[in-house]
Amino acid sequence: MAVATPITPAPPPATRPRHEHTPARTLKAFRASPATYAVLLVVSAVFFVPFVLMVSIALATDATSATNMFTIIPTEWEWSNFADVFTATGLPVGRFVLNSVVIATLSAVGQVLSSSLVGYAFARLRAPGKNLMFMVVLATMMIPAQITMIPQFLLFKELGWVNTFLPLIVPNFFSNAFNVFLVRQFVSRVSGELDEAAQVDGLGYFGIYRRIVLPMMWPILTAIAIFTLTAAWGDFMGPLIYLNQEDTMPLALGLQFMTSTSNAMQLPPWNLVMVGSILLTVPMIAVYYAGQKYLYEMNLSGGSAGVK
Amino acid sequence: MAVDLGEALGTVRATRSHRAGGRRVPRQKLTRRRKVEARWFWLFISPWLIGFVGFLLGPMVASVYISLTEWDSFTPPTFVGGDNYVRALTEDPVFWQALRNTFFYALVSVPVGLVIGVWLANLLNKQVRGRKLFRTMIYLPTLVPMVATAMVFKMVLAPSGPLNDLLGLVGITGPNWLLDPTWVKPALVVLSAWGAGGATVLLLSAMNGVPKEFYEAAEIDGAGPVRQFWSITFPQITPIIFFNLIMGLIGAFQVFGQVYILTKPVGGPDNASMMMVPLLFREAFSFYQFGYASAIAWLLFVVIIAFTIVAFRTSRRWVFYETEVR
Amino acid sequence: MGTTRSRVRRTGTAAIAALSTLAMVAACGSGGGDAAADGPVTLTMTVWGGDVDKKSYQERIDLFEASQDEISIKLQLIPGDKYEQKVQTMIAGGDGPDIMQVAEGVNVYSSKKQIIPLDDLAADAGLDLEERFGPVGTLYSYDGSVYAVPDRSGAMIVYYNKDMFDAAGVEYPSADWTWEDAQTAMEQLTVPGEQWGYAGAGWWAQWWSFAYQNGGRIIDEDGLPAANSPEVVEALQWANDLTHVHHVAPTAAEYADMGPDMGGDPAFAAQKVAMNTTGFWAINSLLEADFEWDIAPLWQGGEQAVSAFGSGLAISRDSKHAEQAFEAIDFLTDAEAQAVIIKNAQDVPANLEVQASEEFLKPAWATREVNMGAFGESSAFVFTSPLIPEWNQMQAAFDDSLSTFWNEGGDAKTQLDAVQQKLEAVIKPAR
Repeated sequence: MAVATPITPAPPPATRPRHEHTPARTLKAFRASPATYAVLLVVSAVFFVPFVLMVSIALATDATSATNMFTIIPTEWEWSNFADVFTATGLPVGRFVLNSVVIATLSAVGQVLSSSLVGYAFARLRAPGKNLMFMVVLATMMIPAQITMIPQFLLFKELGWVNTFLPLIVPNFFSNAFNVFLVRQFVSRVSGELDEAAQVDGLGYFGIYRRIVLPMMWPILTAIAIFTLTAAWGDFMGPLIYLNQEDTMPLALGLQFMTSTSNAMQLPPWNLVMVGSILLTVPMIAVYYAGQKYLYEMNLSGGSAGVK
Repeated sequence: MAVDLGEALGTVRATRSHRAGGRRVPRQKLTRRRKVEARWFWLFISPWLIGFVGFLLGPMVASVYISLTEWDSFTPPTFVGGDNYVRALTEDPVFWQALRNTFFYALVSVPVGLVIGVWLANLLNKQVRGRKLFRTMIYLPTLVPMVATAMVFKMVLAPSGPLNDLLGLVGITGPNWLLDPTWVKPALVVLSAWGAGGATVLLLSAMNGVPKEFYEAAEIDGAGPVRQFWSITFPQITPIIFFNLIMGLIGAFQVFGQVYILTKPVGGPDNASMMMVPLLFREAFSFYQFGYASAIAWLLFVVIIAFTIVAFRTSRRWVFYETEVR
Repeated sequence: MGTTRSRVRRTGTAAIAALSTLAMVAACGSGGGDAAADGPVTLTMTVWGGDVDKKSYQERIDLFEASQDEISIKLQLIPGDKYEQKVQTMIAGGDGPDIMQVAEGVNVYSSKKQIIPLDDLAADAGLDLEERFGPVGTLYSYDGSVYAVPDRSGAMIVYYNKDMFDAAGVEYPSADWTWEDAQTAMEQLTVPGEQWGYAGAGWWAQWWSFAYQNGGRIIDEDGLPAANSPEVVEALQWANDLTHVHHVAPTAAEYADMGPDMGGDPAFAAQKVAMNTTGFWAINSLLEADFEWDIAPLWQGGEQAVSAFGSGLAISRDSKHAEQAFEAIDFLTDAEAQAVIIKNAQDVPANLEVQASEEFLKPAWATREVNMGAFGESSAFVFTSPLIPEWNQMQAAFDDSLSTFWNEGGDAKTQLDAVQQKLEAVIKPAR
């Protein structure tokens, strides 16, 4: 659509990417003092402790694991624990991973597609009943999921979806309250003048969404993708309820078998539990680490230009 | 200086709004346009609407009905009217205890988490060497499974653990945290603060969207970093802070996993850390009293919605949208 | 009766299902119907546990399937702490498993008629439960009927650290010990701040054993709670005084200082306590321990009594193949299949013949001498736990009122009076 071109204003001088600033020219608000480093180092170290302990326990011998006498810093290096999870347990870990990837990816795609549409409408479009609708959106989050679980199970059972991925994936294509609210807040931050101007120039609502709002939404959609991925990746309650066969289970549920014991009072093999936790965590750390580029470092020409 | 800053901002606004053209649209066109706009609104939100009606509304209505019955999830429900609500409000001391505990937890952990989150995000927004690494580290507690975090907390909060050692250095005899009815709730707040880094994702993303020319203008006026934070960064990210506040409240009132995994028995010594959702979970899935559990859920719903409405009301005073949300 | 109930239930849950599917096109529930025609049948069986459990149950199923060709079984393993919830959901959906593993919670299901009585099926199959399992045979009963066949059942036993006993010059524990003998030994074995004579008895299976030894009952013969009877009070006070008065067992704070999630089992493995009372499962993690240890039956009070841990196999009312399911259960609890349980060091098989077998007494995996006879010896005086339908509420009542008592010490009478009050509100006396 040719109309889109004249609307985009010439970038003002200040919207050049931040990393082009030479250190000497860094704005005060972004200047890191030694105190900044000190605080960040301390906080990171504190926040890093659970991860270190997780590794430490994962590398403990079975004998140490039986005594619960763990150290935060690893003192034993039982790397074979990692192999044990794959071999000794007889669980199809590879299959679990594949299932997780399928469920998490499709869930993220569904959320990104649907919540950008819905969130945009709540942020920008006017309609009678909109505020009421928005309260309903929020209200859906306020009823604990634990209590609607069984009714929802009955519903999906009626649909014949039990023992398939459908109950885990399909609802994501209809967005959820968290993401709708998030997109609404994010889009509300930036001025609507561009879309109004575009409208004057004859661009329809869908055109505005696609040409103007969507491009500036990428950071928030990346965030939604990351949130949905990590949530779906770590969720075992949904899969527990809906999946019965081992070869359909995702990793998070499969790993529950490692913490599970023959008797309720028996302690789990902590070292294998933590190996499982690491296997579950590391891919998501990688996703977050890589996703940062799109979250923060992007030159938001659309976004910056959209702010008056 | 405040005036200068305001003027600086005003200048930027003025030029930009001039360029972008007027906001005013001829009156008589509004109604027709509004109709079209409303139609598009419903079209755009239809994914959510279909999902809500299809997957959520039914189960929600069902749970309202269940809350008016006695139901063990196996045998037919017996209609009992408002008995479950009466029981919760007048006969069950644990309900009130759980409600008080949940209030305490939500009203302490949410502000603490927000302050830490904004503070960390502001630090991470600076030109720090290795900030990708720092960001990842600070986000890490959100990614590490709860079971691992709980193990750490059991070590850190042990009676002679590192935290009490630290308190000992300044002459304070630390409590037995998780074993002590008085201290188990603060311990849960500490655990929630541990996850405050999770908020930095959105806050940073929002901070990144603040136009640099604002800061440049402020710089020319000689505003320091603290002043720049309060006059520029903070107002610009209030919608996202508000989002975190609302989500934090909703999440804190429904706190579940932390209580389940950290305190033994669930609810801690003398139910001192029993919260609403663990309570209703126990009623539904351990005691097979689904009707009563559903009633608790709807009472919790009322509490949460009340707090949300209050938050929305006050938000008009401190949340700044570039465009009015209508 | 059964059919009317079933119809009523169907309308009842149908109402909820219909509400749930509210706005969707209400699917005309065509559930059920395909009644068991003759021919091969596939049953589902739910069990909880980890990989050793999966392996053992599957091997036993394989044996069963090899023994005949009419019935096959699909095993469904569910993580232990999520088992009840998953099964609850399955049953609510009308899809209860044909065969389900049950334990202390058995009578939640039987009292609500979600599992079927097995007496007739057992009689038809010529299975004598008492003969095969001893007193445990009718453990899973409700209202005079048996609802589950015992599958695994092991008494709680005393683990003791021989090195510590030798060093202190104390004789090894035995079933002949009285409370006084036990306490004296604990005192001799305690080195303040370093080593404790006993791991403590804060778990119901532990201190209830003492209550029963003292002639107390948690639930009396009439099905009424009796938690604050003098016998129970005395036993609980003794158990708790071991920690807070005599200091021969670690306090909760001392445990918390040893490591995360610390308790008797890991503390015994870490050589912090000389004696620990727990189940069979601890053997496995101690096989590699670098100290000498053994097991013995629990000591006694006025009489002998000890709790047992186990599970049974029940048949869901949703099963369309109850007879075949029972045939499977019969096979799985018979000697050949039960031997697998001990071969894999999974648990103690409930079958007495297997408990007395050479495979059990001298297991192939035992890398050291273990007095496995202690289990058989204990079987004679296992007390029947009050497996009331309100089992979980009862446990919660004890947990709620006793946690500070266990953590900090106190007066048993006061706490048990509070427990009694809660129990009276929750437990409806048997008819």
